[in-house]
Amino acid sequence: MLKILLRGVLLMLLTGAVNATPAFVFTAIPDQDETQLKQRFQKVADYLQQELDTEVRFIPVKSYAASITAFRNNQVQLAWFGGLSGVQARELVPGSRAVAQGVEDPVFKSFFIANTSAGLSPADHLPESLRGLTFTFGSKGSTSGRLMPEYNLREQFGISPDELFSRVGFSGNHSRTIALVESGAYQVGALNYKVWETAVAEGKVDTSKVQVIWETPTYPDYQWTVRGDLDAAFGEGFTARLEKALLGMKDPELLNSFPRSGFIPASNQDFEPVRKVAKQVGLLD
Amino acid sequence: MSSTKILSLPRYRWPGGVRTSLWFLLIALICLPFADLEISSLDPWSEMGRLLQGVISPQLMDSGLIFEALLATLAFAFAGVALAVVCGFLLALAFHHTFIRAICALTRSIHELFWALIFLQFFGLHPLTGLLAIAVPYSGIFARMYAEILGQVPKHPEYALPAGSGFFSAILYTRLPQAWPHLVSYTSYRLECGIRSSAILGFVGLPTLGYYLESSFSQGYYPEVAGLMILFYLLIATKKVWLRRWTLPLFLLGAPFFMGTGLPIIWGNVGRFFSEDIVPAPLRSGEANWQSLADWAGTIVIDQALPGVWNTLLLSQIALVVTGLFALLFFPLINRYCFGVAGRFPGHVFLVIARSTPEYLLAYILLQLLGPSMLPAVIALAIHNGALIGYLTGRNSNEIQLRPDAPERQLDRYFYELLPRSYPAFLSFMLYRWEVIMRETAILGILGIHTIGFFVDSAIQEIRFDVALLLILVAAMMNILVDLLARRIQRHI
Amino acid sequence: MTALAIQSDSLGYGAQRVLEPVSLDIRTGEHLILLGKSGCGKSTLLNHIYTENRNECALIPQGLGLVESLSVFHNVYMGCLSRHTVFHNIRNLVWPTPARVAEILPLLERLGLSDKCFSAVADLSGGQQQRVAVARALYQQSSVLLADEPVSALDGPEADRVMSLLGQNFITAVITLHDVDRALRYGQRIIAIQDGKLVLDERAERLTVSTLNEFY
Repeated sequence: MLKILLRGVLLMLLTGAVNATPAFVFTAIPDQDETQLKQRFQKVADYLQQELDTEVRFIPVKSYAASITAFRNNQVQLAWFGGLSGVQARELVPGSRAVAQGVEDPVFKSFFIANTSAGLSPADHLPESLRGLTFTFGSKGSTSGRLMPEYNLREQFGISPDELFSRVGFSGNHSRTIALVESGAYQVGALNYKVWETAVAEGKVDTSKVQVIWETPTYPDYQWTVRGDLDAAFGEGFTARLEKALLGMKDPELLNSFPRSGFIPASNQDFEPVRKVAKQVGLLD
Repeated sequence: MSSTKILSLPRYRWPGGVRTSLWFLLIALICLPFADLEISSLDPWSEMGRLLQGVISPQLMDSGLIFEALLATLAFAFAGVALAVVCGFLLALAFHHTFIRAICALTRSIHELFWALIFLQFFGLHPLTGLLAIAVPYSGIFARMYAEILGQVPKHPEYALPAGSGFFSAILYTRLPQAWPHLVSYTSYRLECGIRSSAILGFVGLPTLGYYLESSFSQGYYPEVAGLMILFYLLIATKKVWLRRWTLPLFLLGAPFFMGTGLPIIWGNVGRFFSEDIVPAPLRSGEANWQSLADWAGTIVIDQALPGVWNTLLLSQIALVVTGLFALLFFPLINRYCFGVAGRFPGHVFLVIARSTPEYLLAYILLQLLGPSMLPAVIALAIHNGALIGYLTGRNSNEIQLRPDAPERQLDRYFYELLPRSYPAFLSFMLYRWEVIMRETAILGILGIHTIGFFVDSAIQEIRFDVALLLILVAAMMNILVDLLARRIQRHI
Repeated sequence: MTALAIQSDSLGYGAQRVLEPVSLDIRTGEHLILLGKSGCGKSTLLNHIYTENRNECALIPQGLGLVESLSVFHNVYMGCLSRHTVFHNIRNLVWPTPARVAEILPLLERLGLSDKCFSAVADLSGGQQQRVAVARALYQQSSVLLADEPVSALDGPEADRVMSLLGQNFITAVITLHDVDRALRYGQRIIAIQDGKLVLDERAERLTVSTLNEFY
């Protein structure tokens, strides 16, 4: 039995080694419903494969941290990160760069939504009556679902969310946040405004049960980040071709699946505000 | 005269086992006011209704994908358990060394999901991650149980061997043959646990059933959830059909080919993990000193470890007592003195389903229904473990021989015959399960209940593996202490 | 007056026949002793009598049928479970009620067990356990006693004390014994069984130790 096993393990390692011949792999933070993500990024994979003339694979992961780890471990070479996850990933991988972002991403925002039973109405600041309610973030590593909402809550109330609310949860992703606040499992939640707008437009939200009560000031969010060592693995000029391909995504169907109106260049420097906020909130050292 | 005699009568005392149980009950009652047991969901019934609707109209998504996931679930279970059997057996032979015992205690006190999260950091989504996540803790478990089983074998055959027979030959010829049936039956039970563990590993990204369960669940596709669950139950329920002496080698040989390819391992990551990631942050930066390290550890202990430990204790003590109550309620369902053959059938079905549903999965479902609090976790732990202990106690109670004039009324029979006769066995099952419940309680934190797993998950999400590892070690220490305590109590009853 | 009328086809376990068909009348007030070697079928006959007449009989079975993890008190109390409500039974299990203790304690005193009232049966010696089973039968207060070797683990004087206690407290009794001498002292009617057949059915005063010894 031992021999069989050893042979099996050896085989696995060998197949691993064989597979190491470059297939270009990318991932994305699992920030909303998986089916949607798979559809969207399969389109991206097909597009990139065509543009780059190499095999391109999309690997879905189960958590923000897993996408960062895969990127850091060089098991994926490109990732669609949020503001915070991008900053975290680039800190861990010297030489990696933010190369492209959606037209909307430099001025991204979060929505605070509330179940109508909580009796909150839309305003230009967060109401005092938020104290003592139940509240859910999205994923622990989300920019629009965690970092920026937490930052704004701390700014306005001067205390941590744990002290402000009677119960604080993490729904896991933006779609779940809508579902949980709509069902009343939590009274208030915060999420990515794009996910909200798309869900409302598609009629997936019962707006008689849940509504937006506040929107945050804008901040930079999602971006495509690549590793710095791509050219060494995939040939000279690969990164440049990749950048061009990402910025050149013009197919409306593809853009709609994000949803973004187009892609523009990005640099690491663009996300400096996110890094500062993350330090302030204590999510970065 | 006779009245003075009655006065000198010793006061009635509850039997030792009952007194121990009452202490546990008292502790759980004290924990209750501190525990958050609210049903925070506004309308649990509508969600429950949707789930039930899904159950009556189960659906399978892409059957090819699901078949692959099913095979991967089995592959990880078989390969992981097989590797653990080999390692566990070798470790069992050296189990008298304190060092080996300590290593085994440590490996088994860390939950397989925690192991998976650790291996994910440097192997990534590679089959080795899933394989080791099962094999490492199971080796520790096997080592202890195998050592116990081998230790209980009669010693005289070994004693009678000629001098110089050699350590291994002696074991092969005397202890192993005598212990064989017990070893096989325990290993087979553990294989079932392995299938459950393997399925659950999908929740962190390995390509097993849990992967698709999590996806369907989090998107509320309940018909798909129901389809997957039914598939899972069928897999466990038909184990006797597909797992035969002659199919076992096929499964073992086939296992390495069905774990998926994942992403290639890059060995540099392994070195980095051990030399950088898990080194406490203050030691990584240049000016390391004891003060900064103490501050670092102090902050983590006060802000994360203590609240995590406190909540884990609260939840696990309450869950333990509810588990016991459930088990005592459940076991008559399969007792031959309570129901006829036909009457026991539904009980058997219920107990099989409840005990083959991993508590992690049950808690996940109940969290969706009842909203986030400790309540769904308590119910999930109690249903799964209550059904398991109920089954074991019930099986045990079927060996009881009632006297011809045993009470005829069912309740009299339960309280005066079955319960007292089954109680000692029940109690030792419970004490053994205490550590398991504690370990599971910790892991449920990943689902958002603020037990220690919550803080471990947070640290991993924040890419702070030094913190995560420290917290995992705290959780491990808790389990080891509970294990020691349980064995002490067991000896004193 | 007939207390028990026994009519049976041949008895046995499965295909194995242990006892030939039996027809037997036991009169009220009669104390009947079943004698015979072990395995001759006397326990089988006794169990048959019990299953046919559960409601009138108190039983002391061969294995005693005690719940070892419960106290002596609770085991004795079990003789009367059917006379109380389930609620009372549960209450009495959780904590002994003074009224029941007052009933049971004198009984234990006569059997020399009063100091063991609240001890677990598991902690008692074989002889003590046998006396607990006797106490349970006495507490049941039925008119008929069926006892299978009720004094096998007791020494001479102790055994005699228990036998006379049983004799005084039951109007009718069927007791299996293997001690011929004791059978003659306490029985009014003796039945001997050999190879599954009733080979002797006689008033005790007409028998002597030597005639009975033939059956061993």
